Amino acid sequence: MSSPQNSDTIYQHRFENGVWLLFEPMPWLPTLSASLLLPFGSSTDPEGHEGSGAVLHDWIQRGAGTLDSRAHSDALEGLGVRRGGGAGREAASLSASFLADELPEVLPLVASMGSEPRLDEGEFAPARELALEELASLSDAPTQRLFNALMERFLDGGPGRSPFGTQEGLAELTPASVREDAGRRLGPAGAILALAGGAEWDRVLDAAQRALAGWQGGAAALPAARLRPPGREHVHADSAQTQIGVAFAAPPPGDADVYTFDLGLHVLSGSMGSRLFTEVREKRGLVYSVGAHYRALHGFGYTLGYAGTTPERADETLRVLLEEIRRLSRGVEADELERARVGTLSSMVMQGESSGARAGRLASDALLQGRARTLEEIRRAVEAVELDALNDYLAAHPFPEPTVVTLGPRPLSQEAAA
Amino acid sequence: MSGRPETTARGELRFDTLTLDNGLTIVGELNPRAASVAAGYFVRTGARDEAADVAGVSHFLEHMLFKGTDRRTAADINRSFDELGAQYNAFTSEERTVYYGAVLPERLPQLLDLLSDMMRPALRQDDFDVEKNVILEEIAMYEDRPHFRVFELAGQRFWNGHPLGHSVLGGQASIQALTREQMLAYFQRRYAPSNLALAVSGAYDWEDLTTGVARLTRDWRPYQARRELPPAEPAVGEGRTADGALSRVHAAVFAPGLAATDERRYAAAVLANVLGDDSGSRLFWALVDKGLADSASLGHEASDGAGAFVGYVSAAPERADEVLGSYRRVLLEAQDGALDAEEWRRAQRKLATSLTLRAETPLGRLVSFGAGYQALGRYQSVQELVRAVMSSSVEDGRALLALRPFDRLYLHRLGPDGAES
Repeated sequence: MSSPQNSDTIYQHRFENGVWLLFEPMPWLPTLSASLLLPFGSSTDPEGHEGSGAVLHDWIQRGAGTLDSRAHSDALEGLGVRRGGGAGREAASLSASFLADELPEVLPLVASMGSEPRLDEGEFAPARELALEELASLSDAPTQRLFNALMERFLDGGPGRSPFGTQEGLAELTPASVREDAGRRLGPAGAILALAGGAEWDRVLDAAQRALAGWQGGAAALPAARLRPPGREHVHADSAQTQIGVAFAAPPPGDADVYTFDLGLHVLSGSMGSRLFTEVREKRGLVYSVGAHYRALHGFGYTLGYAGTTPERADETLRVLLEEIRRLSRGVEADELERARVGTLSSMVMQGESSGARAGRLASDALLQGRARTLEEIRRAVEAVELDALNDYLAAHPFPEPTVVTLGPRPLSQEAAA
Repeated sequence: MSGRPETTARGELRFDTLTLDNGLTIVGELNPRAASVAAGYFVRTGARDEAADVAGVSHFLEHMLFKGTDRRTAADINRSFDELGAQYNAFTSEERTVYYGAVLPERLPQLLDLLSDMMRPALRQDDFDVEKNVILEEIAMYEDRPHFRVFELAGQRFWNGHPLGHSVLGGQASIQALTREQMLAYFQRRYAPSNLALAVSGAYDWEDLTTGVARLTRDWRPYQARRELPPAEPAVGEGRTADGALSRVHAAVFAPGLAATDERRYAAAVLANVLGDDSGSRLFWALVDKGLADSASLGHEASDGAGAFVGYVSAAPERADEVLGSYRRVLLEAQDGALDAEEWRRAQRKLATSLTLRAETPLGRLVSFGAGYQALGRYQSVQELVRAVMSSSVEDGRALLALRPFDRLYLHRLGPDGAES
């Protein structure tokens, strides 16, 4: 599938201090996107200080280098930069999209939030206050609450923790404790800077060299994800719908089976023609929203399934959801695989047209797999999956017993998940 | 076909347009270097075109267009999109209903066949009955999203009887009572070919595209669909809705703004960005930066015949009065104080970057291209949009503030506390 926009080059450089720079040129674009991953997340928050990473992520955006919070923000915005990012389980991200000509001005401003944040005393209290506000907001967001509860029930220890932290953990934080945390976790080792868009590698490398090469510091090791025994849990909420979440382990990122598994999952839930959408929504009208998606942490893959429905239909919805998940081990038809393959390849090409999507994928590949993949490598791997191999895989790896968490006005009957 | 295709060259991308004998207009923005192509039918119908007894019918009908035609069942439609590897969806607003998909260029003919066929749905009774449950589930889902609900509550009151205040989803009762026959009558009235525009952006062959669409739509009967554009007399004041299940106060703010054809709409967009962008704006520094609210924003929505500044803020109940007071004060102080040339320039540049970024992909470009053409009846390239934003001046912003739109705020709060009003 050749297209005028295929590029199969990913440039990489590791600076001596450990920062990993990746760049994918998209010379036809006037724009450039950057994604900076910093190696601290809720999974390595200090015990009793849950939410320290979330506060640190906010605090480093409140002034860096010679610029205070307001001056730093005005400088970025004066260059027309669109910013994003968030505090995650394994890494905190800062992203920026801008006109490519502004690269030499923008990159130092972005990089300095990682390499030389001011962490001014006066900015600590509002940063923590905002983290508390965001945590409190979750109580009016049932779907997000469900997924936080599901991950906590599914995984043991750090990796199961919510990136928002806890009220108790946030209350314990002081400027000194978060600075100490930054000294331990916010360093160039493990930091990833990925860019994609309309620039040349020489310019990118030069700008990154100037912005990042002087950064010194350490980084915390990521804990391995450990599963809790599967089980069920209900969280009470006075909501109109019951939220249903299921989680089970899947091949780890980088594993040779990921492409095979992913095509199987696409048959289950990749589109409006998929099995879940057809059986749960189209035939039975049980839900508006239903799906199952592959997710990954460093060295660990898992699948999250979701459905939202009114309480009286929740039992039937969970039953059909689990039936369809289990039925996958009996194999898929040739035409189902072909549709999944066409959908996967075509969406890859389309996402490849966006600089933000490409920079994001480069950064997450680097974090999760320790290597970057070209679109061409992914295409070849997806095309190589044969029907027999997929069906053998699905038969040999039936979906394990899931963890099921529901959130709503009343628990489901036990039979629904049996 | 009436007339000859019109082709205008503007910089890099070419604009094409053609109106077929049946009244359907096709518009294209050609980007030969794109790796994909996006196409969408833009129907000039939405909640504002609904009578009260069919509230929610535009959106329900949008779902029904995926449920089959004389040639295809619902399963056929879903399977066909999958076979094309299409990224596709549809949405309904007060203003319009849009059905769109993006594919690799070689699959455009099949995508157009599918989308065009869908525009003439079968509306089968059994599909209607099953889909009604899905709509009711969607209504229940949004009931759990106070951020969404508060806009419906506020918009309805602010627009004060004007059709822009209609609910897109409708209510449980109106959907329960809706019949297939009512939907069919609405469809026949609103889906006139002249009320639709087919927009295509990305890599395509104009000759093949127009010949194909002319053939696919040759049985469409030409007729007219009208839209009522009554004058708006927006309400001013404050309202409250109590919901004990909530733990935060969610407030939506409306103020009179400009219509989609008003030349000052670019200045209004820049002004809204100065005041309420989600980073670096006056509301951001007054509320979010201080950790008083997790969200405080303002935008400008330019609609057919009328427009509004629309904002949102959420806060803890014990702090809500203080936060809502600050929110209001930021807007009033902008009217009474100075607008700074530097903050104006920052907002312009952010908007220009956003416009350029969205145009990276044909699908990202499609909605602004199609909706823009439909609203104005003429083409605007991304470069032209960027120029319009960059050439609006801080004086234009001051002139808008001199009209004192924020003296006429309507604010609605939804939260655990307070009496209904």
